[in-house]
Parts: sequence; C-alpha cells; structure tokens
Amino acid sequence: MDLELSDDQFELRDNIRSVLEGACPPSLVRSIYDGEGTSADLWKQMAELYWPALGVAEDAGGLGMGFVEVALLAEELGRAAAPGPLLAMVSQFIPLVETAGASEVLAAAVAGETIGALAYAEQGRWEPTAVTTTATRAGDGWTVTGAKDAVLAGATAEVFAVVARDGDQLGVFLVERGACSVTTKTLLDPGLELADVEFADSAAVVLLAPGPEAVAAIEAVTQQASVAMALHVIGTCRKIFEDTLEYAKVREQYDRVIGSFQALKHRFAELYLAVERANAVGYYAALAIEEDADSKDEAVHVAKAAAGDCQRLLAEDGLQLHGGIGYTWENDLHFLLKRAKSGDALCGSRAFHRARLAALLGLGEAA
Amino acid sequence: MKLEFDEEVEAFRSEFLEWLAVNRPPAEAIAADPPRSSAYIPEWAASFTKRMFDDGWLVPGWPSERGGRNAGPIETLVYLEELNKAGIPRTTNPQGLGIIAPSLLDYGTEEQIQNYAMPLLRGETAACLGMSEPDAGSDLANLKTRAVRDGDNFVITGQKVWTSGANYADFCFLFCRTDPDAPKHKGISIILMPMDTPGVTVRPLTEIISPEFPDLNEVFLDDVVLPASNVVGELNNGWAMANGSLAHERSMVWLMGVMGMESSMTELLGMAPDLLAPMSTVEQATAADAIAGLYIDTLAARCLGYRGFARYVKTGSAPEQALMKMYSTEIRRDLARVAAELCGPDSLETGLSRQGSVGSLDAYFTTFGLTISAGSSEIQRNIVAERVLGLPRG
Repeated sequence: MDLELSDDQFELRDNIRSVLEGACPPSLVRSIYDGEGTSADLWKQMAELYWPALGVAEDAGGLGMGFVEVALLAEELGRAAAPGPLLAMVSQFIPLVETAGASEVLAAAVAGETIGALAYAEQGRWEPTAVTTTATRAGDGWTVTGAKDAVLAGATAEVFAVVARDGDQLGVFLVERGACSVTTKTLLDPGLELADVEFADSAAVVLLAPGPEAVAAIEAVTQQASVAMALHVIGTCRKIFEDTLEYAKVREQYDRVIGSFQALKHRFAELYLAVERANAVGYYAALAIEEDADSKDEAVHVAKAAAGDCQRLLAEDGLQLHGGIGYTWENDLHFLLKRAKSGDALCGSRAFHRARLAALLGLGEAA
Repeated sequence: MKLEFDEEVEAFRSEFLEWLAVNRPPAEAIAADPPRSSAYIPEWAASFTKRMFDDGWLVPGWPSERGGRNAGPIETLVYLEELNKAGIPRTTNPQGLGIIAPSLLDYGTEEQIQNYAMPLLRGETAACLGMSEPDAGSDLANLKTRAVRDGDNFVITGQKVWTSGANYADFCFLFCRTDPDAPKHKGISIILMPMDTPGVTVRPLTEIISPEFPDLNEVFLDDVVLPASNVVGELNNGWAMANGSLAHERSMVWLMGVMGMESSMTELLGMAPDLLAPMSTVEQATAADAIAGLYIDTLAARCLGYRGFARYVKTGSAPEQALMKMYSTEIRRDLARVAAELCGPDSLETGLSRQGSVGSLDAYFTTFGLTISAGSSEIQRNIVAERVLGLPRG
C-alpha cells in the first residue's frame, strides 16, 4: 500500500500548476468577476494541451492516464480558482460519454470542440432518487421533460447529458442547447458557469438506454465527479492556507509578526491538519476509484465530507486571519473563499455525504 | 500510488503469521494476567518475548547479528499490524523495547549491552525512563536532578515524576545534570540506575482511573551512588542521545495511534446498532453523524499515516508525521467520549475489565494519558506551527 504520489504524478502536478500560473492568474479570474472577461481563451489553451483528454483511454483518443491524474488536475484548477468548463468536462461529461462508447461525441469533447455538461441534480439533490425528469420515446428518438439545477458549466455548454427517468429506470440522454431553456443567475463564483436548465419535450438522443447499465454508469460518474470536486475544493483550501500563512509571517502588530502569537500558531496547526486530512482521504478515494476497490463507495463519501470540513475551517479562518484586507474586493482572497464554499454545495454537500457514509456504516436508512 | 502491498511484503507477512500461529501466547493467559503497567511482565509475556527474540521476530527491522532479520520499514509495518490484529501486545515494556534497548545498542558499552540491553530483549527484565521532573515537563531540558562526580562514582540527588513503570522496573534510564554551568541542553547525561540501589524511593501515583493498578510514579533520589561506568555514551551528551532515542521508533509511533483509533471505531460500530435502536429519529441522526465524523477521522489518520510513511521511506522526512500524535490521541479521546455518551448510565460502571475498550467513562478518562504524555497536544501544535509551518518562536 503506497498512498504517496509517484514522481511522474508530482511532475504532472507541477506542470499543470505552472501552466495555470501563467494562463490563469488572479487578474483573469478578476476580469470574469468584473464581467469584462471570459474563460474562452483559457479553455482553448487547455484543449491545446490535451487536458480534456487526460483521463480518456488511449484507444479512444485520450492520454490514457488514471483517475488519480484527473484528481490532480481538479485540485490544481481549484488552486487557481480557474474559470471555465474543464472541471465539468474531465470529471462529469467526458467520462460518461466515454463509458457510453459514443465515439463521435467523445472525440469532439476531447478535442475541445464541443463543451458538454452533465445535467443530474434536481432541487439541489445529487442522488438518483431525486431525478424526476422524464424521458419518453418519440418515433425513432426520445424527448426529455423536467428541470435540472446547478449544472456545472451549464452556462457555456453546447450539449447536455441529461439523467432522466423512463418509468423506474434511469437513462442518460443528449440534448442540444437549442432544444432547452438555459437560465444563468448572478453567481457568487461566476467562474463555475453554473446554470439551471429546463427541458420541455426537448428532442433527445439516447446516450445510455434506461436500465441497470445506465444506472451503474451514472453511479460511477457521480462518484468521480464527487471526488474530483472534493480535490478541487481541497486545492482551493490549500491556496487559502498558504496565502494566510504567508500573511501571518509578514503582517506586524505590537512590533511582532502576528504569526508569532501562540493563539494563531495553534489555529494554523488546525488549518494544516484540515488540509492534509482532506487531501489524504481525497487521494485515497481517487486511488480506490482508479483501482475499482471495494472501499470505493465509502471512500467517496469520506472524501467529499472531509473536503467539506476543510472548506468550513479554511474559508472561515482564512478570511478571519487576513483581517480587514481579506474583506475587500481588491484582495484576491475572495476568489478562493467563494470557490471553496461553492464546491461544497455541489456534488453533494458535507452533510449529504456524511449521512450517506453513516448509512453505509449501518447507522441509518440507506438512501 | 497503489492500494496493495508488493509480493515480497505479502510473503513476509505469511511467514510471520505462520510463526505466530505456532508461538502466540494463549488468549486466556493474556486475559488472566493482562498488561497493567508499562514495566510489569506477566509470565506469558516473558516467554513470548524470549521466543520472539530467539526466532528473530522481536525486532525484525534490526540486523541479524543483533537479533533481527533486516526487515525493511514496510515489512516492519506489516509485522506490527499483524500483531495488533491478533490482539497480542508486542511487549509489556514499550519504553524498554522501543527506546532504551536500541539506545544502549547505539551508544552503550559492550558490558552495558550484555548486562542491560540483552536481558530486556529476552524478556527477563523491564526498564523505565527517568525523564520528567516537577519543573521539567514540556520543558524537559530544564531538568534539575544532579549527578556529581566522586572518584569512580556519581552521586545522584533529585526527583523524577510521571515515571511510567518505575514501580515494576529493574532499572532506570536516568537523565540527570552533570554540568550545571553549561547551557541547559548541554549539561545532561544518561546513567543506568538499578532500581534497588540504596537511596532510590519509588512512590506510585494513584491515577484517576484504576487506582489499584498504578503505572506512574514519583522517584526520589537521595545520594544514590552509581559507578561512572554506568554512564551511557559520552558525558554531557544526553540531550542529543535523547533526541536519538525518541527518534528510534518515531517513524512507527503513528501506527500505534492509528491502530488504537481503529480498534475503538470497530468496537463503537459493533455497539452502535443496539445503542441506536431505542432512540428517536432525531437522536439517531445526531449519533450517526457523530460516529460518521469520527469514522472519517479514523480513515484519514490511516491515510495520513501511510502517506507520511511512504514519504518517510522515500525521502527520510515527512512533515505531516508531526501532526499524527496530536491528531490520533485527540480522536481516540473523542471516540471514547462519544461511545460513553451513547452508552448512557452503562458508561458509569468502572473496572479494569473495560479498560482499553470504549463505552465507559473509565476508558474516556484513560485517553488523557495519551493527549498529555510524551509532548501534550498543545506542545505538538507549537511544534507543527514552528518546525513544519515555519512560524517564528515568540
């Protein structure tokens, strides 16, 4: 058992980090917050670097890396509070399309030609029982009717992979943007490009026919999405931690740096623990998914719940310990705070995953 | 990254399990005379220690000429886990086996090794560590016990406290000040002190739980005369050796904490269905959430420990290991508290039979032995902040 990243994985992480430092500086994030910029150029650069193809099998046109590498990418995107659809693509849309064997859709997505998004949650619930959207046969095709919310990358997506119900079976259907109604709101973190999407007898193409195989594929992709979102939040939190620690080493009051006060030192020990704790179980879950281990189900819930614990502490103390400067729009800290909080609300909250874990441990009703 | 161990490690595991199946002490013997102090050696433990040592299983990571089998760190980890799974204490004198014997082998004379270290390794004797004093707890280098040279002897005067196992130990690995004029870290030496030397008085400190089985002691030293040949290593170099001693098993200490958390968690999950059954839905949800939170901590501690261990094996250092002492001990405390709260009035029953398991307030209070000793949680936080995160002392 080896839970340490390999040298190759560290190298990949460093490469991604240095690319993002150049291509996605806080000034880009700020331009989007200020309504002046878009994620389009960044997305183009990422596609040129084959990042959307990272976890896709080589014979399907991908780079053939494992889910741990996808998790690394998700973490680094969180660290940069990166705007744009890549997180949704690599952890939601692309794996689902790959599982379905839809090679043309996959090729376009991997090449960055088409942005796709997974439309799954309803009423904020990230679970199969919450799906009320229906799919109905219509001639040779299908139509889909229902409402999905908080679709990651929904604001920019050109096609949606919609989880919908045919009787008591779930399936996945592709719906073009033009066939549905996309509502974008003014969001805390505009970089996530969330949208609510409504379908009313929308023309659809079946991606995974309703049945047990579709259910298994949905389960698998939602697990990947949850763990990727967990690592994304953790990457954001680690940056909050580093920035706050740096600030405590230079900010002076009473003729000494504030980081020399024991009250703050003990806070920092807690913050460090929260980040390392979440990071350790996050990669454990990523590895369990990659190896399809028995511990996978439990590990997924542990990872997202621990990321939830982590963001609670880091967002609070990160802001508190920065003092007034962290409360200003001009300081970059709030991009990270908002990404961390948003990430907890998506793919099942801390409370949701703790409850699911409790159920797996035999401590409550199974969902 | 991978979840499985390599084949060689699994082969090592099988070899140990085969040996253990033949040589393990009977569970009834352990139950009849359980480990009750860190220096009390029940008969089953003495003979098991000797069998382990003779067959190269007591200290598998040591070289074969010292009684080991050159096992690597991962093999050693697997060995410790298997002993724990089997419910067998590796030793009933942890400080003797983990700190004192290896320190003697590193720094002691041949005579000291033969007279003090080897009997420890054969399960014939037990030892205690004379470190803390009334004014030297977290600030250990402040110790005041004096050893004054008198010809071929040293005359020792002072007092130790919190000395685990002094009431059963055969000798003490005693830290004392041999140069009062040097800076406080530089004037400390280590002297081997048989506990039956005239002038040594041991007074057990009755603890808040299980008063009939004390482990902590005060040790009073009044003009205790010991030959200079009992000094371990170089004179006035005790502090450096202490850091060496404590480092001996530091790379593995996290594992004890993790295994302790896991056995508490397993017990708690076993008890939970019956405890939750009569509760209202809201009460059940509260209990389930508390247990789920601790489950996350238990798994996280294992992952952190394993990751730090892999990093340590690869690079020789793993900063997050500094977190493990405070984290694992505080979670063991929280586990014991949650279990006791769920048990309601049943948690109030006291008695040794429940010690070391969760569900009683006995067990809860016992966990403070973990969070206070060997560098309290507060000291650990300072260490993390200063040495790992680079915050200034102040």
